[in-house]
Amino acid sequence: MINILQIELYKLFSSYRTYITFAITILLMLIVDLGLYSDGEEIFSFLLQPLNDNFYIEGNIVNGYLIAYLALNTLWVHIPVLIIIVTTHIFSGEFEYGTIRILLTQPISRSSLLTAKIISMIIYTICFMLIVAVFALIPSVIFFGTSDVIIFIDGIQFIQEATFLPRFFYATVFAILAMIAFSSMAMYFALWFRNTLTAILLSLGLLILFTLIQTFVLGIFSAWQPFLFTYHIAKWQLFFVDEIPFKTILNSALFLFTMSALFIGLSFWKFNKMNISE
Amino acid sequence: MQILKVEDLSLQYGDQIILDQVSFSIKKGQIVGLLGPNGAGKSSIIKILAGLVFPKNGRLYFKSKLQNSFSDLREYCGYLIDSPSFYPYLTAKQNLNLIKKINKSDLKIEDLLFKVGLFDLNKKKVKHFSTGMKQRLAIAQALLRSPEILILDEPFNGLDPNGFQDVLNLLEKLNKDGITIIISSHLLNELEQFAEMFILLHNGKIALEICKETLINSKQRVAFTFENKPSSKANEYITKVDGIFTSDFKAVIHLKPNEIAEVVNTLVSIKSTPINVETLTILQEHYLEITA
Repeated sequence: MINILQIELYKLFSSYRTYITFAITILLMLIVDLGLYSDGEEIFSFLLQPLNDNFYIEGNIVNGYLIAYLALNTLWVHIPVLIIIVTTHIFSGEFEYGTIRILLTQPISRSSLLTAKIISMIIYTICFMLIVAVFALIPSVIFFGTSDVIIFIDGIQFIQEATFLPRFFYATVFAILAMIAFSSMAMYFALWFRNTLTAILLSLGLLILFTLIQTFVLGIFSAWQPFLFTYHIAKWQLFFVDEIPFKTILNSALFLFTMSALFIGLSFWKFNKMNISE
Repeated sequence: MQILKVEDLSLQYGDQIILDQVSFSIKKGQIVGLLGPNGAGKSSIIKILAGLVFPKNGRLYFKSKLQNSFSDLREYCGYLIDSPSFYPYLTAKQNLNLIKKINKSDLKIEDLLFKVGLFDLNKKKVKHFSTGMKQRLAIAQALLRSPEILILDEPFNGLDPNGFQDVLNLLEKLNKDGITIIISSHLLNELEQFAEMFILLHNGKIALEICKETLINSKQRVAFTFENKPSSKANEYITKVDGIFTSDFKAVIHLKPNEIAEVVNTLVSIKSTPINVETLTILQEHYLEITA
C-alpha cells in the first residue's frame, strides 16, 4: 500500500499540470495583492463611505488581513476549478493514457490502488489550499501590514487583529474539507466517464448551477439551500463573524464530510466492479 | 506439465454473449496463439486472464490448483494488453521503476532495457517513442515480475517489418528461457511462424484447437493453377487423387505435405505443369471460412 501511494505521489508531483495549478494560484494571489496595493485605498474609501458618515474609523482599515480575506473571496470559484483539473486527472488520466491496464494487471487489489489515489488527491488538495492560504496572507501582510479588520458578513463584523490568524487557520482547515468534498465528487465523475474534461465540466456545471440557485435566497429555491454543497462550502466565511457560530459550521462540516464519504464509497463500488474492456 | 487450464469461461455484456463456455489448457513452455477475427472473443479472454474484465462464469487452474478468481493469475503473469501505454511525461526507466516498485522486483531495469534493446534510450521520454519502441518497453514491463506466463494481446499491431522481426526474435528468446507465451492476434501468417498450439475462436466459441505437429502432418488444401486447360490425362489424375476443379484452370486437392511434391512431379510428367501452387493449412482454411 505504501509503495502504491509513493508511486501515486511520484506521478502527481512529476506532472507539469500540478505545478501549473500552483503557479496560477500564486499568480492570481499576487495580482489581487497588486491590484489592491495600487487602487485599494480608493476602493475602500468608496465602500466605507456609509460607515464614515456614522462612525469615526481610526487606524489602517485596508490592511493585510483584510486583503487576505478578500483574496480568498475573490478566488472562491477559481480555487475549485484549479483543484479539480489535477484531482480528476489522477483518476481519469489513467484511462486517457491507457495506463490503467498496466496498473490493474499488477498483483495489487483495486481497492489499494484507489485508496492510494484518494490519499494523493487529499494530499494535493491540502498542498494547494496551504499555498492559497500562505500566498493570500504573507504578501498582503508584507505589503499592507496588520490591523483590526472590518468585514461585511450578516452586517458589519469587527475582527480584532489578535484573533484574525486563528480564524484564518480554521477557515483554511474548513476550506480543505470543502475542497476534498468537491474533489471527491469530481473523482466519482472521472471514474464514471473515464474522461478528465467531462468530469471537470460536470463538476463545474454543478458548482455554477448550485451557486446560482443559492443566490435566490427567497422564493422556491430557498428551501433547497441546505441540500446544496455550495451553501455549505461557503460557510468558511463564518469564521470571520464576531461570535463564531460553531454549530452552523459543524453542521456544514458534517454535510461536507458525508458528501466526501458518499462519493468515495460510490467510487470504490464503481471501480471494484468496473470492466476495463477498451 | 499443464500450467494453465480454463474451464467453462463465459462472458456477457447485457444480452450480448462475448464468450460461451470456452475451455482450453496450456502446457508449460508452449507458445499458444489465440486466433480469430475481430470480435471473436480473443481479447476478452486475455482481459479476463489479466483481471481487467470479470467473467460471468468460469474456473481457472494454475499448475492444477483451482484459483479463487481470474485476477489471482496476475501473480504469475506478465501482460501486454492492446496498444502499449505509459506515462508520456516520464522516461522509459522512470516508467519501469514505477512498475518495479509495485512488484517489489529485484530485477535491474538496465538489464531489462538491454534485453529488449532499449538500453540506449532509457533517458528518453516515452512520448517520443515509436510504436515499436513502446511495444518493446511493454514487453520489458511485462517481464518485471519474472513471469512464468507472458500474455500478449495483439503485440504486432502497428509494427513495421523490422519491428515485427525484433519483437518476434525477443519472444522466441524468452520462450527458450522457459516462459510460456499466450499471444492473441488476427494475423494468422505471423502467428503460424512461431506458435506451437493454436486456438481459433469464432463468435465466442472455440472453432478449432490444434497443435503445430498435427497441423503440419494433417492434409492441406493445395490449389494448383494452370496456364492452359489441363489435359484429359491430368483431369483423370486429379480426379483419381480426390481433387476437384474449382474453375477451368484451377484444381484443389487435399494432401499431406509430403505428398505435394509427388503430385507436382506427376502433373509435370503428363505435361500439365501448374504455374502456381498455393497451400492452405486446416487452420488457414478454417480461418478463411470464418472471416469470409
